[in-house]
Amino acid sequence: MSVKASEISDLIKQRIEKFSSATEARNVGTVVSITDGITRIHGLADVRYGEMIEYPGGTFGLALNLEQDSVGAVVLGDYTDIREGDTVKTTGRILEVPVGPELLGRVVDTLGNPIDGKGPLKATRTAPIERVAPGVIYRKSVSQPVQTGYKAVDSMVPIGRGQRELIIGDRQTGKTALAVDTIINQKSSGIKCIYVAIGQKQSSIANVVRKLEEHGAMAHTVVVAASASVPAALQYLAAYSGVTMGEYFMDNGQDALIIYDDLSKQAVAYRQISLLLKRPPGREAYPGDVFYLHSRLLERSARVNEEYVEQVTNGAVKGRTGSLTGLPIIETQAGDVTAFVPTNVISITDGQIFLETDLFNAGIRPAMNAGISVSRVGGAAQTDIIKKLGGGIRLALAQYRELAAFSQFASDLDEATRRQLERGERVTELMKQKQYAPMSVAEMALSIYAVNNGYMDKVDRRKVVDFEAALQSFAKGSYQDSMDAINAKPELKAHEATLKKICEDFLATGAY
Amino acid sequence: MAEIATIARPYARAAFEYAQDAKALARWGDLLDIAAAVVAEPGFSALIGNPKVADDALADLVLEIAGDKADPHGRNYVQLLAQNRRLTLLPEIARQYALLRADAENTVDVEITSAMPLTPDQTETFARALTRRLNRVVRLHTHVDPSLIGGAIVRTGDLVLDGSLQGRLQRLSQTMTN
Repeated sequence: MSVKASEISDLIKQRIEKFSSATEARNVGTVVSITDGITRIHGLADVRYGEMIEYPGGTFGLALNLEQDSVGAVVLGDYTDIREGDTVKTTGRILEVPVGPELLGRVVDTLGNPIDGKGPLKATRTAPIERVAPGVIYRKSVSQPVQTGYKAVDSMVPIGRGQRELIIGDRQTGKTALAVDTIINQKSSGIKCIYVAIGQKQSSIANVVRKLEEHGAMAHTVVVAASASVPAALQYLAAYSGVTMGEYFMDNGQDALIIYDDLSKQAVAYRQISLLLKRPPGREAYPGDVFYLHSRLLERSARVNEEYVEQVTNGAVKGRTGSLTGLPIIETQAGDVTAFVPTNVISITDGQIFLETDLFNAGIRPAMNAGISVSRVGGAAQTDIIKKLGGGIRLALAQYRELAAFSQFASDLDEATRRQLERGERVTELMKQKQYAPMSVAEMALSIYAVNNGYMDKVDRRKVVDFEAALQSFAKGSYQDSMDAINAKPELKAHEATLKKICEDFLATGAY
Repeated sequence: MAEIATIARPYARAAFEYAQDAKALARWGDLLDIAAAVVAEPGFSALIGNPKVADDALADLVLEIAGDKADPHGRNYVQLLAQNRRLTLLPEIARQYALLRADAENTVDVEITSAMPLTPDQTETFARALTRRLNRVVRLHTHVDPSLIGGAIVRTGDLVLDGSLQGRLQRLSQTMTN
C-alpha cells in the first residue's frame, strides 16, 4: 500500500479538524486494585451500569459492579499497562460496535476492529451491544425455511428463519462443520451470516475463515473472533457484538443467521469475570445470572413483522419482514446434557440437534441422533415437498430403532419386520452426507422420494451411498429442468410424477 | 481504600449527626482534623497495634494533643474508637465528616490547579462560575503546577473539568493515534 506524503498530511488535518478542544467535564476515579483484568476503582460517583470507562493510554473498560464505595470494572483489552493509582474517566457512552453491510466479508474482534489485514472498516453506523429484544407485538411467527443443505436436518429437524436451534454434542462430533456448511449453503438464499467464534484456538478460527473463503461464502458472512487468548471480558461480550451486527440486517428487513460457537465457553468466560468480581457462585460455580446471560442473547434472535421494520428504518423499508436465526452451539462433556449450561440453553431454544460421538464413530455423519433431535417451530417453515416426504423418513427411523433392539435377540423375523429393518438401514445410510456438499431442495426430495418408495430396497446396504450419488448425477444430467422446477416451486403434488419418472428411468438404465 | 471507607462510614455519620444536634459542627471538625493528623503521624501509627501500649493510653495521647478542642463527648468518641481499635480510621472519618458537613452547610471544596498563579479577578470569576454550576457556596483552594503549560484543572469530588493545555495536548495525541 503506497500512501503519498500529502495524503498523510491530509489525514492528519482531518483528524485535527474533527478534534474538539472544548473543556471536558468528566467523572474520575482512581484504580485501587487490578487483578486478572478486573479493576476496582474508588470514585467514579456518577458512573452508570454498563458504561464505558477510559483508562490512561486509551484502554477502555466496562463498569459492571457498582458498590457503595467502589466500582468493579472489566478491562477491554490489554491490562498490563494499568497500574494502581491510575486515573479513570467516565465516557458517558455504552459499548458500541460498528454495524452495516460493510462488515460482510470481514473478520473483526469483539469491539468491531478488523483483524483480517484488509484495511480499515468502512462502516459508518454503530449500535450498542446490549439491547432489549423486539417486543411481542412486533414478532411474527416463523414461516420461511433456512436450508442447511443437510438431508438429515432439513427433513427431520427443519429450521425456520428467526428460530433458535441449538446444536449440541461432545467435542469432535461435527458441530462446527454443521454450522459452517449451513453458512456455505446460504450463498444463493440471501441470508447474511454471522459466525461468532468464542474461546476457540486461533488456528480453528483461521481454518473456518479459510474454508468459508474457499467455498465463496465469506461474501455474505461476518466473522466475530474472540479467541482463547483474548481477555475473558471480550470473550463473553463477543456474542453480544455478533448479535448486534445481525440485528442490523433484521431491522432492515433482511434475513440473517448467527452462529455462536460456542456458548459453553462464553459461559465459562463469564463465570471467570463474575468470580473475580466477587459475585456469589451458584451451581457449577456459575453466577446466578448465567441463565439470563443466554436468554437475553437468544431472545434477540427473532422474526419481526413489517411494521417493526418500517418503524426502525423510519419508513425506508416497507412491507418486508426481518429475521435473525440463531444457531447456538453447546459442547457437552461425555454426552452429559444435564449439566447446568446445556439444560439452560436447551430450555431457551426452539429445539436442538443432538450430535453423538457413537454415531460419528460409526460413520454416520452428520452424527445426528434423530430420536432426540427436535425442532419445535421449524415444521411450519418447511418446504411442502420436504415436509411431506420427510415424515416417512422420521417414521422409518423410529420404527427401525425400536425393531433394531429386538432383532438382536430373534433370529427369524417375519417378512414385515424384516422389510422395516431393511428400510431403516437404508434410510440411515441415506442420511449420511459429506461435508461441504450441501444439497438443494430438489436433490433432497429426489433422494428421500427414492428411499420412501422402495427404489433402494433392492440395493445392497453398503451401496446406498453410491446409488444415491449415481441417481443425483443422472437427474442432473437428464432432468436438470425438472430439478430446477422443483427448486422454484417445492410442492409435492406438482412434482410427484416427475420424481417417480426420474427414479424409474434411472433404475432402467441400471447405472448403479 | 474502599473497605476503609465502608468501615469508617458509620463512625463519621455518628460523629456528624451528634455534632449537628449539639450544634458543634466546627468544634467536632477541628477535633477530627487534629486527631486525624496525629494518627497519620508515623511515630504514632507505629504505636497502634503495639501490644505494649494500652488502647486507653493511645486515646489519652490523642486527646492530650487535641487539648480543649475535645469536650467530654469528643473524649468519649475518641476513647470509643480506641476501644474498638479503629483509631487508624480517623483520617478517613475526618474526610467523610468534612463531606457530610459540606453537604449540610451547602458548601463545596473546589481545588483549582493552574499553570500560573491566579489573579484575584480570575479567582472571583472562577468562584462565580462554579457557584452557578454547582449550586453551592464554593470554597476555593488554588494550586500552581507549571507542567500544565496553560489553562487550569478544576476538581471537586469526582468531577474534573480539565481545561489545561496539557490535557488538551494529551487528547489531541490520542485522537491522532487511535
